[in-house]
Amino acid sequence: MSANPLFERTVSTLLAGEVICEVSNDDLNNYLLLPENQQQVASFLGQLNRTLRRTGTGEAWVCAYEDLATSEAKEAVRQQFSLVANHLEPLVHFLRLIMAVEGSQRPILPGSLVQESVILDRLSSVPSLEAKLRSLVETQFFRTKKTDSAGQIRTVMTNLEKAGYLKSHGTTGSVYRATGKWSWLYDVMTFIETHEGIQTSDPEDEPQMRLA
Amino acid sequence: MARTHDAQSALKALANHAELILDAHLNRGNRIPDTDENLSALETLEHHRLIWRFRGEEDQDPNLKKELIHLLVHVSGAQRRRWASEQVFDLWQSLEGLFRDYHEAKKRAAFVDIERLEAAIRECLAEIIDDIRSATEGFVSYLNSGFGYVTDLRLRIIENEKAIERAGKLNSLFDSFNIRELAEQAGNDPFLKRLLLKHLPAALEEGRQNLAYALNQLRVMLVQMREDQRLSKLIGAFEDHFLNSPGYIPSIADLDLEACPPALNNPKPFPLVAYGDIYDPASDQELIELAQSARSQPRQEAAPKEPERLTSIENDLDGHAETAEQDPLDELVQQLLDMVVSGNIGAGEISAHDTLLASSLDATPATFLRAVEAQVDALPPEDRRRVELAYDAMPDSLYPDNLYIQDITLRQPNVERV
Repeated sequence: MSANPLFERTVSTLLAGEVICEVSNDDLNNYLLLPENQQQVASFLGQLNRTLRRTGTGEAWVCAYEDLATSEAKEAVRQQFSLVANHLEPLVHFLRLIMAVEGSQRPILPGSLVQESVILDRLSSVPSLEAKLRSLVETQFFRTKKTDSAGQIRTVMTNLEKAGYLKSHGTTGSVYRATGKWSWLYDVMTFIETHEGIQTSDPEDEPQMRLA
Repeated sequence: MARTHDAQSALKALANHAELILDAHLNRGNRIPDTDENLSALETLEHHRLIWRFRGEEDQDPNLKKELIHLLVHVSGAQRRRWASEQVFDLWQSLEGLFRDYHEAKKRAAFVDIERLEAAIRECLAEIIDDIRSATEGFVSYLNSGFGYVTDLRLRIIENEKAIERAGKLNSLFDSFNIRELAEQAGNDPFLKRLLLKHLPAALEEGRQNLAYALNQLRVMLVQMREDQRLSKLIGAFEDHFLNSPGYIPSIADLDLEACPPALNNPKPFPLVAYGDIYDPASDQELIELAQSARSQPRQEAAPKEPERLTSIENDLDGHAETAEQDPLDELVQQLLDMVVSGNIGAGEISAHDTLLASSLDATPATFLRAVEAQVDALPPEDRRRVELAYDAMPDSLYPDNLYIQDITLRQPNVERV
């Protein structure tokens, strides 16, 4: 039986816990777009009690347990959740920082460009954003001893790249593209929002004050 | 004379910066970006009072003046496209009226009137065809801009919804045209028949296609904008929550995971590791080559260096200090107790077992609970009085006096629980 390098890379990437999307692995994403390839990968993963899943928006592929009846599987799910739960606060602050830098209400989405130079440029003119960056690099996920904004931003970007949220784009090393892992994170956040009863503030939903 | 001169130079300024002004009008919501390269243009336009901005908001992009916008609307034909459905509707009504008159003129054999009405019908039809084209093309400009000139997401959604509504109106207007009936009234005029049976249906078909595409794209954009809005609210809600509940970490300890939500179903990494097959003779050649190259390659790990011979002895006045790395388990227990002692716990109490689960620490619950208990006992008396322990225990089925400790809840005494 001849080897299939794309199949091998796809299953090893998925089993390693990585997310496959157009930005992170263009060739593997294209491979998975064909239904027969999806079938092959899912059937292989099925023998390891795993299956192939797409994130809510369909922009990324992930591996999931097929049957969660075993205590090992449940314990693994809890451990994986605790990993993301511990890093959620810094990730949320990073998302807000980028939204403030870009002056838009559009969050980072798979495929979005994130440029160090643009962030630095904005930070230098808005001191409150610089303070946000300083508090961001005090968290465990982005911790650095660097005191200059450029060094701090570089650390933040590098850590996000290591965690699979960003991928370096071009040759400068200072431009990144957001991967499909953000869509997975938004799915997790949506679940936590419902499960923990976190209130979404919407000024229009609040009852208006009446004139006496 | 001076007034004429001023007006002339204002018109020249408009001509010189026509591209910039048109770009601001068509793509940037009538705002000119305040950049270094636009500096001289902005100064000139400001001098002629063609742009404005509030004092104290110099960092905002300046706006085109109302008078200039009116001129631009007129010259770019934007207004006509914007209200194209009304325009086409009016023309269609006129056309139907003209056909009624034409029919009447034919009945009465009023040849001069027939000729006049034929010319009027041609003109009206040509205008309708032209308006249908420009109306549908107008929607393409929305798609190109993506309403990017509206910064607020909610307002952008409203703009998008308005465009969809206008496109919908235009579409239903096209559907209401009854060309066949008019063609029957057209008589034997080959030119009119060609306009009604060939050119008008072709223009309508093209318009419908463009409109269908634009409507579809506008709907896709609307869905994306609503999703952006949802995510923006989600992120904002989390930020507020973290701000209001310091130290908050989401937990799924209460879930039995029998029906695991898809978002949580994330398995542990499963590395695929393989070794060279030394039992298969077919792989011998490759393995021999690999082994040879591995032998010829310099070892990555440098051999331990021999300590340099000391030529003299120096006394280190500051002394040598060696910092020992702290045990992560101790560090976590210490952090937990610091939170309890300082009263920095959101719900008034905290479970040690949940804390362990929420951390990425690889320790058994028994070890962790023992460490918590030992560390609590080791607290200074003043801090110890601030920590109250509650044991979650289960009696042994055979020897009920023996208790199995499953969890410890830490809280401050006399503090109201949430």
